[in-house]
Amino acid sequence: MAEQKNSYYTQGLSVPETPAPGEEPAFWKQTHVVGKRLPRVDAYERVSGAAVYPSDITLPNMIYGAVLRCPHPHANVTKVDVSRAKKMPGVRAVITGQTPEAKKLKWKYNDYSGPLFDTHCRFEGEAVAAVAADTHFQAWDAVRAIDVAYEVLPFVADHNKALSDDAPDIHDSGNLVGTDEYERGDVARGFDAADVVLEQEYHTQSELHTPMELHGCVAGWDKDRLTLWESTQGVYAVQSEIAEILNLPLSKVRVIGHYMGGGFGSKLKPGKYTVLAALLARQSGRPVKLILTREETYLCTGNRPASTMHLKAGVKKDGTLTACDFTCTGPSGAYPAGGTALVDWQIRDLYACDNVRCASKDVYINAGPARPFRAPGHPQASWALEQMMDDLADKIGMDPVALRLKNIPEISQGRNQPYTTTGLKQCIEKGAEQFGWKKAVERAKAHNQTDTHIKRGVGMGACVWFVGGGGPPSTVIIKLFRDGSVNLNMGASDIGTGTKTVMAMVAAEELGVAPEVIQIEHADTETTQYATPSGGSKTVPTESPTVRNAAIAVKRQLLEMASEDLNVPASDLDYEGAQIISRNDKNKRIKVTDVSRLKKRGVVVGVGYRGPNPPKKSVNPFAAQFCELAVNTKTGEMQILRFLSANDSGRVLDRLTYDNQVFGGIVMGIGFGMTEFRQLDARQTGRLCNRNWHDYKLPTALDVPVDMESLPIEIDDPEANNTGTKGLGEPVTIPTAAAIANALFMATGIRFTRAPVNPIEMRRHLTAKKEG
Amino acid sequence: MLPQFSYVRPDTLQDTVRHLKEKNAAIHAGGTDLIGCLRDGIMQVDKIVSLNALSDLHGIRETADGGLVIGALTTITEVAENLLVKQKYPGLSQGSSEVASPQLRNQGTIGGNLCQKPRCWYYRGEFHCLRKGGNTCYALDGEHQFHAIFGHDLICVITHPSDTAPPLAALSAQLKISGPEGSRTVPVENFYLLPVEDLETETVLKPGEVITHIVLPAPAKNLRSSYRKVRARRSWDFALAGLALALEIENDTVTRGRVYLSGAAPVPWRSRPVEEAITGRKLDAATIQKAALAVVEDANPLPENTYKMDLFKGVVEEELNAIR
Amino acid sequence: MQTIDITLTVNDQQQTLPVKSNDTLLEVIRDYLDLTGSKEGCGEGVCGSCTVLLDGHPVRACLTLALEADGCAVTTVEGLADEDTLSPLQQSFIDHGAVQCGFCTPGMLISAKALLDENPSPDRQKLRQALSGNICRCTGYAKIVDAVAHAARPESGCPDCHTKDSGGDHD
Repeated sequence: MAEQKNSYYTQGLSVPETPAPGEEPAFWKQTHVVGKRLPRVDAYERVSGAAVYPSDITLPNMIYGAVLRCPHPHANVTKVDVSRAKKMPGVRAVITGQTPEAKKLKWKYNDYSGPLFDTHCRFEGEAVAAVAADTHFQAWDAVRAIDVAYEVLPFVADHNKALSDDAPDIHDSGNLVGTDEYERGDVARGFDAADVVLEQEYHTQSELHTPMELHGCVAGWDKDRLTLWESTQGVYAVQSEIAEILNLPLSKVRVIGHYMGGGFGSKLKPGKYTVLAALLARQSGRPVKLILTREETYLCTGNRPASTMHLKAGVKKDGTLTACDFTCTGPSGAYPAGGTALVDWQIRDLYACDNVRCASKDVYINAGPARPFRAPGHPQASWALEQMMDDLADKIGMDPVALRLKNIPEISQGRNQPYTTTGLKQCIEKGAEQFGWKKAVERAKAHNQTDTHIKRGVGMGACVWFVGGGGPPSTVIIKLFRDGSVNLNMGASDIGTGTKTVMAMVAAEELGVAPEVIQIEHADTETTQYATPSGGSKTVPTESPTVRNAAIAVKRQLLEMASEDLNVPASDLDYEGAQIISRNDKNKRIKVTDVSRLKKRGVVVGVGYRGPNPPKKSVNPFAAQFCELAVNTKTGEMQILRFLSANDSGRVLDRLTYDNQVFGGIVMGIGFGMTEFRQLDARQTGRLCNRNWHDYKLPTALDVPVDMESLPIEIDDPEANNTGTKGLGEPVTIPTAAAIANALFMATGIRFTRAPVNPIEMRRHLTAKKEG
Repeated sequence: MLPQFSYVRPDTLQDTVRHLKEKNAAIHAGGTDLIGCLRDGIMQVDKIVSLNALSDLHGIRETADGGLVIGALTTITEVAENLLVKQKYPGLSQGSSEVASPQLRNQGTIGGNLCQKPRCWYYRGEFHCLRKGGNTCYALDGEHQFHAIFGHDLICVITHPSDTAPPLAALSAQLKISGPEGSRTVPVENFYLLPVEDLETETVLKPGEVITHIVLPAPAKNLRSSYRKVRARRSWDFALAGLALALEIENDTVTRGRVYLSGAAPVPWRSRPVEEAITGRKLDAATIQKAALAVVEDANPLPENTYKMDLFKGVVEEELNAIR
Repeated sequence: MQTIDITLTVNDQQQTLPVKSNDTLLEVIRDYLDLTGSKEGCGEGVCGSCTVLLDGHPVRACLTLALEADGCAVTTVEGLADEDTLSPLQQSFIDHGAVQCGFCTPGMLISAKALLDENPSPDRQKLRQALSGNICRCTGYAKIVDAVAHAARPESGCPDCHTKDSGGDHD
């Protein structure tokens, strides 16, 4: 065998102490790789065009699927005749509710289970039939050739009308999905104790995820084994759901999701399209590619539900919040899907308040079911709460920043247990300082005194995210090869956030190898380990401690192996750079790559598991955001000039990907607050008006602030997990819209209670204000 | 994914016209609007007649009298960036640079921009509306915040999507059109049809006809022109309200003024009340105030788009202040 | 359906291809030539994920009929690198963290290349305008703008980069 060159194992990097067996690893005091700005480990693939996304997959003999969808928001299918479609050129499979292999299959929405093809179509875009043909042209021609008859039913598209007497029942049980109530203290007494009590109704519109890559998959069978290349946030989530629906052993469903073009919550689970692709592939005996059109994704791949909220809040003159009373109605869509999920969490948990009451009503409407969307529920309630805080501050003559700082809670009131750490106060304080809050307020107010129709405003908002601490289960395997290079094997998807990169950094930190020599294998249920889907801002705090544990497992084994070479007990050994040395006798040392058993075996395999979260403590990230903007009071045009986000998400693993999350979250919040809304033709047909990216407006490069700043508030959190990390992806978008609304108030004196505030909404309010 | 059609790319204008006379033939210039329309299935096209080989229709040249002739196939980017256009007709240059997105401006042509199909979300969506041969205008009683406040006669409330037509109309541009019966010239201001005149088509182009050139008269010595567009987002968006001005100003007094609005009506909308309010007057605060009030004089807004009233007033105020 | 032969020079390689009248340039690039770097995000010319250079100009491949591209030179993202050596623009995207999910990246790179080919040192506003036809749902555009600005003026460092503004250095 050629001489070992130690070419990969980094020299001179200090390696964290290996905990004794059974001991937890110590909190990293100083890091060498973690915390740096490292570019993505897969950046080459992503900029060269080499990365293969599910929509790029082509297999031998592959054919194309297409779905016939109900064009009505509410209808009964009375006839589906596929005889003509079946005879069309190139058609190899046609599936309807009458096809034997589809007939008994169920599709679930939360706890609701119904037939895969329900003849009672409750939303526009519900699947009625599916075909597969040699070309996608032929597949669509065949879809058009299916003869369907519908009995069109009355619909309800407005969640505020869903429970009215004249609204048609969408389900036999009626249109109430469920209610949720919460109370602590005595709200009535709280209001009595207040010097100022305000109440206000707030509305937010339904927002669509619209990730860049369309939803879809390629499905293929090898006899009884199904392989799916799915654009997904979690391969194991797809595996378990599809296995259950198709009644297959988990081992017979392989899901691969190496690259995917964004999900934002809408790809946490498979779609009905996944099942249809599998059925079409089975019927045709060929792999089937089924990628939805952009229009289809607008109808049936989820949304952030609209909300109608009412908030009443009381405050003392000194700024003490005395009571909050919050109600919300929101639509799940046509099936149970969390129409008001987590919507009251900001009210329950963010600011100290002894007396809080929350009630929410989740209702059915005839529209596509919701799916979790980046911080479900949170931006909605933040829109209400953060504007209310500013109004209260205004009424008692207090600075908005000061009012918030006055109400920092000691513990998580929503859970009645301590946080491991809370950086809410620092986020607000340091954020305000870095932003130059006081000066900015003075400057804007002075500017608005001058004779100009361009008005300026600054505003802020803060937030807590419901979870963000991650947790079990997760399993990661790290293989260290005899040349010191490393393979990191994890099931988690990298949905664009940089998961692969930060995990490589964690492994590099713990093993003392350069991140470049770490090869990552991920997001494949056949070859990588179990992971929950990447969402909920939990991937970093879930996977990074697991990776660290796997690395430690490698190190422990290496110490055992080295003890044979050095003839000292493993407990006496530890790492010094690329060497293993005896603590008691520094002369006893061996290069890691010289360890005999490693050379002989070729590889050391370390398995890491995600340990439990600390008992009776809540792990949550916090944020505060600040913005400055200008309003043209003649035209209603607005321009955001700058934004700052101060985030307490624990330890920063990769500053480059960290800042990306922050900027991306701000801009998504700008979309929610200023440009995006799903428009249903609620008063006529109930159908979707804006089903393309022109009419559904995402912010462009010209709509975002030129000046965005990310300010990490790093607080050591050894209790949270062994990397001290908390989630980031969601808190970065929670208070954005509210901060904008507060700035708009300063600029115009108008309280914008309806999101989004686009130039139309602005111009309407400017006129209303002028007319008194 | 596109439906099936045949495709020809004639070398001569005569052949082009001959192909275009056939039933369900459509002109392909830049294709940016046509391909979208075909994909959305909003019209039946059996034959695409590409103008790509007609090299005479490209380019911008100065005429003997100091005007410009712009080939209909000149891209929007070329018009926006052309120095002669910038010098002589800044309003047209500004209008062109406000069209769609950079890529679409590279592909889209000035002729195509004038002949765009409406962007109403009912028309583009799966709604069998009046303009597609149905019997109802969904926008009228539906979601019409982006729709017209002038010229709709409560029939069809689309707004014309072009950002180049309003400045061209304001600048008194003429269109050279070739067709089965030879050539004719139509002023841009007479090129468009209101819903009350015709519901199925937006222009006076007859089957087989094609715009070949746009002719701009020499700019008067004191001509000032501009185009201002307000929109919901800053790229790839159509006008909520737009204002094209072509004013001749001598000694601070407007001697002649043509004013067109976009985002206002099913056609580029001439605002004679504004023209009357400013012609013969100095653009002082009082005149501008009068003009702002005048711009919405004949408006017939719908419940969801009354905001456009004050919006147009605001745009007129801003732009008259800017141009004076 | 019958096909017509067209000649395309894709990433400097000339080829003759039989295409159908209703094939778009994007379908030809992705399905016939297997150059899957150019993405389809909407199929209607809004998102910009399919942006390619057509005779040097950035266009929407999804709105371009293949027949209309006959005789043209096409550059896709796969044509930006020299073998395995990335172009300075691509490298700048990597260094600045301008890539997240990566689906918009090929189109962004092409739009940026087109701008820099025409205007080697654009100011940031010009740059934003040039990129305004490309939608990104992940990054908030900040680092994409940084990356292109840096590629335009590598010698000037990153005085205006967001990465710099927010503390620390990056090399």
